[in-house]
Amino acid sequence: MAEPKVHIVDDDEAMRDSLKWLLESRGLKVELYPSAEVFLRAFNRDFCGCLVLDVRMPGMNGLDLYEQLQAHSSTLPVIFITGHGDVPMAVSALKKGAADFIEKPFNDQDMLSLIESCMTQDSAAAAKRAESASVAQRLERLTQREREVLDLVVVGKLNKQIADELGISIKTVEVHRSRVMQKMGANSVAELVQLTLKKLE
Amino acid sequence: MMPNFAVGAFILAMIALVWMLQKHEFDQQMATLARDVQWAEQTLRLHMQSDQEFLQELAREAPIGEIGGVKFQARATQYLTINPHLSNIAWIDAEKIIRYAAPFETGAWSVGKSLAPREQEMGFLAARASGRPMYGNAHVNEFAGPALELFVPIYRGAIFLGAMVAAYPVSGMLRHLVPAWFSEKYHLSFTGAGNLPLAENSAARPRDERLSYSLNFDPPGNGMQLHVAAYGTETNLAKTLPIALIVGLSLLVVWSLWSLRNALARRIRAEDALRAESNFRKAMEESMPTGMRAIDMRGQITYVNAAFCKMVGYTQEDLIGANAPFPYWSQEDLIEHGRVLQQALAGEAPRGGIESRFRRRSGELFDVRVYEAPLVDSSGRQAGWMASIHDITEQRHARAELEASHQRFMTVLDGLDAAIYVADLETDEILLANKAFKNIYGYDAVSRNCWQVTSACRPDPARFLAEAKKLAPHQTPLELHEIELQNALNGRWYQLRERAIQWVDGRVVRMEVATDITDRMNVEEVNNQQLERLQQTSRLITMGEMASSLAHELNQPLSAIANYNMGCVNRLQANDFRPEELLAAMQKASAQAERAGKIIRRVRDFVKKSEPQRCAVGIADVIEEVIGFAEIEARKAGVRISVTVPTDLSPAYADKIMIEQVVLNLVKNGIEAMHDTPRSERELAISARANGKDFIEVRVADRGHGVLVEQTEKLFAPFYTTKPEGMGMGLNICRSIIEFHHGRLWAVANSDSGTVFSFTLPLNP
Repeated sequence: MAEPKVHIVDDDEAMRDSLKWLLESRGLKVELYPSAEVFLRAFNRDFCGCLVLDVRMPGMNGLDLYEQLQAHSSTLPVIFITGHGDVPMAVSALKKGAADFIEKPFNDQDMLSLIESCMTQDSAAAAKRAESASVAQRLERLTQREREVLDLVVVGKLNKQIADELGISIKTVEVHRSRVMQKMGANSVAELVQLTLKKLE
Repeated sequence: MMPNFAVGAFILAMIALVWMLQKHEFDQQMATLARDVQWAEQTLRLHMQSDQEFLQELAREAPIGEIGGVKFQARATQYLTINPHLSNIAWIDAEKIIRYAAPFETGAWSVGKSLAPREQEMGFLAARASGRPMYGNAHVNEFAGPALELFVPIYRGAIFLGAMVAAYPVSGMLRHLVPAWFSEKYHLSFTGAGNLPLAENSAARPRDERLSYSLNFDPPGNGMQLHVAAYGTETNLAKTLPIALIVGLSLLVVWSLWSLRNALARRIRAEDALRAESNFRKAMEESMPTGMRAIDMRGQITYVNAAFCKMVGYTQEDLIGANAPFPYWSQEDLIEHGRVLQQALAGEAPRGGIESRFRRRSGELFDVRVYEAPLVDSSGRQAGWMASIHDITEQRHARAELEASHQRFMTVLDGLDAAIYVADLETDEILLANKAFKNIYGYDAVSRNCWQVTSACRPDPARFLAEAKKLAPHQTPLELHEIELQNALNGRWYQLRERAIQWVDGRVVRMEVATDITDRMNVEEVNNQQLERLQQTSRLITMGEMASSLAHELNQPLSAIANYNMGCVNRLQANDFRPEELLAAMQKASAQAERAGKIIRRVRDFVKKSEPQRCAVGIADVIEEVIGFAEIEARKAGVRISVTVPTDLSPAYADKIMIEQVVLNLVKNGIEAMHDTPRSERELAISARANGKDFIEVRVADRGHGVLVEQTEKLFAPFYTTKPEGMGMGLNICRSIIEFHHGRLWAVANSDSGTVFSFTLPLNP
């Protein structure tokens, strides 16, 4: 996992430079890009932290870039910086799932808190993603029959019902069940259900 | 044809008759002549026969000696006396010597003389040879003219003893042997051998040589011929009278036939003429819309024409012979009709006719005008009165229509706000004026001099009248003059339009229409004020838009300054800083502050120039400043702006700020129009060039969605917009601004895609 950073894309050099100066004063790591194209070239899926995007830019504008990132199923939170009169644009960006927007001129505190909340959110999401990935890994290890038993356990069926449904003996169900618990690393049925739900998320 | 032929045939018959009569007469005369001639010949021959017998007696007696010289002498002389046609009788011996001769002569027949050779000898020799009496050839005797001799030979036995000779002078034969009546009637002549004329009974020649007869008198004379010709019948009244009568009567007949023929031809001509005249009159009467009605001296109708019958609906039979009250008199006016009839009969009908009311058979009443005139027959006697009747219902109706039409016309004219008058071009007399005109110039305006009347508000006549007076009717209508003037009487403004037109009577007149334009002028003033206000508004709107743009632009430096500043503050608070770092950030912040100051200054400049000030403006500067304003927006919208302005382009005469507003508006429109254009094609082309020698033209061409042709004009209408957030005032204001500068603003489709907005500005005030 890469180090969380604030990625800033703005065509105005002073804006870029001053933002970096401000964010670094709060100990944030900042990466600057003069245009959307430059950012796209540098981008990889390990990018984490957040992206601060100027909506209006010559060439590819902020919205275009955001659409591109979504196409790459990027989860990087995006904060749009909008000028006066660009509000409709920003609203449509929000509808598409952007984290937030901030209107120029902005209060530095607002900006910082927004960025920080985005970064926290992103790291939490990243942890969640990691957990989900491990549950998926564990599920992979189950046999076909064990998977069938798990699905029925998760919806709250009793061993007897499971045995009837699958056409096997209660004894066999119990064996499969203890194996599933073991493989999934769950200590209780409740824990098992929680793990399975995480996967579904 | 027939009469001519008959006359010809008659003449031919008469000629044939006369010819046949003549022929018959001639034949008869010829027969008479032949008979007479034969009779005369017989007479001549009878005498000559007796002469021959006498000579034969002498010749018989001589040889026997019964006769001697004396006896011969005596008997011959005696014979000569009773036969004067003989000139001589002689006794010639065998030696051709005259032995005895009677009478005694010393001429040709003197005793002892020898016979003349040839003529006399031949007869003598022929008589001796034949032994029979022989006539000699006729010959011309030197003493007695043409003569003929008879030789009777004297033989004693076979001995020739000589001959007895009788001499006939040819003239004597004619004189004595032919009776006197014959000589009177005929011309006789003898010709000898070779057609030698010998003698004739008269020197007078017959008139008609055809009526002649010839026969040989041979013997006695060898080759002699007797010609007889009638003297003619000119004196024969009995004969010529019938011919003369026939000819005369024929001529008379021919003449009378000719006269008859001429008379007939004249009559036919007269009849034709009469028929034609009658047809003409009939056609005239029938075609004439005027009714004709004749009455005799007592008031009875004697004649009505077809038109009158048609007018009143009665037939001629109904009307002719009718007495008053006539059927066509209207019942209501019987007394009046009777009075008019009596007036007419008395010869007192008004010459100008009298208007009356007649009733048709259908009961319908109609108005007529009746003219009475005396009806005089061919002998010059007045036979009655002839009335011509005109149906004047239509006329009255037409007159009423005309009056109503005139009334309507005047009502319309009077209803107009414009003051109208018509004046004669020659006399300047006012012929017609409407109420509006009279309201201004007085109700006695008509027939007064137009220039006097309209002195308070009139154009200078010298500017158009010189030509107008010479205008021919076919050159009208023609505009003469148009001017806007203030009336000195009421202070109102009028637009005067002078126009030459053809008047109702054909002459060319001048019509003036003065339209009160005071209100319009006021409206124009108000409009001008409104335009100014509008421009102010537009300036404010533009400034508002500009302020928005500037605010956006100002955000950049201001945000940067805040960032730098907060960055410093955070570092200072955390006591985590390096002084050079802070210094650099502070310097950057002040640079941004300067940037913001520049933007503010631009706004201030823009707002400062609020009064329209027109002066020479370099269009390149205008475009440059506009691009300064629009640059950020263009950059944000990804639009490239290209500018093409020739360096030698003359400056326009305009208010720089206002033109900047226009260009800015067009540029912003262009940028917005390309919102949906692919990024690579977003290009806005601004160009300027000379347009004629008095204008420059500025073009702003985008590559946007374009406008439909039918929308190009609508673009400039107030509140028209294609932008969801637009107010629709921009282009309308732009056009007002350009038109305020006497230029023009229009839009056309770009040849590739998008729209080209162009405007012109004058180079000089």
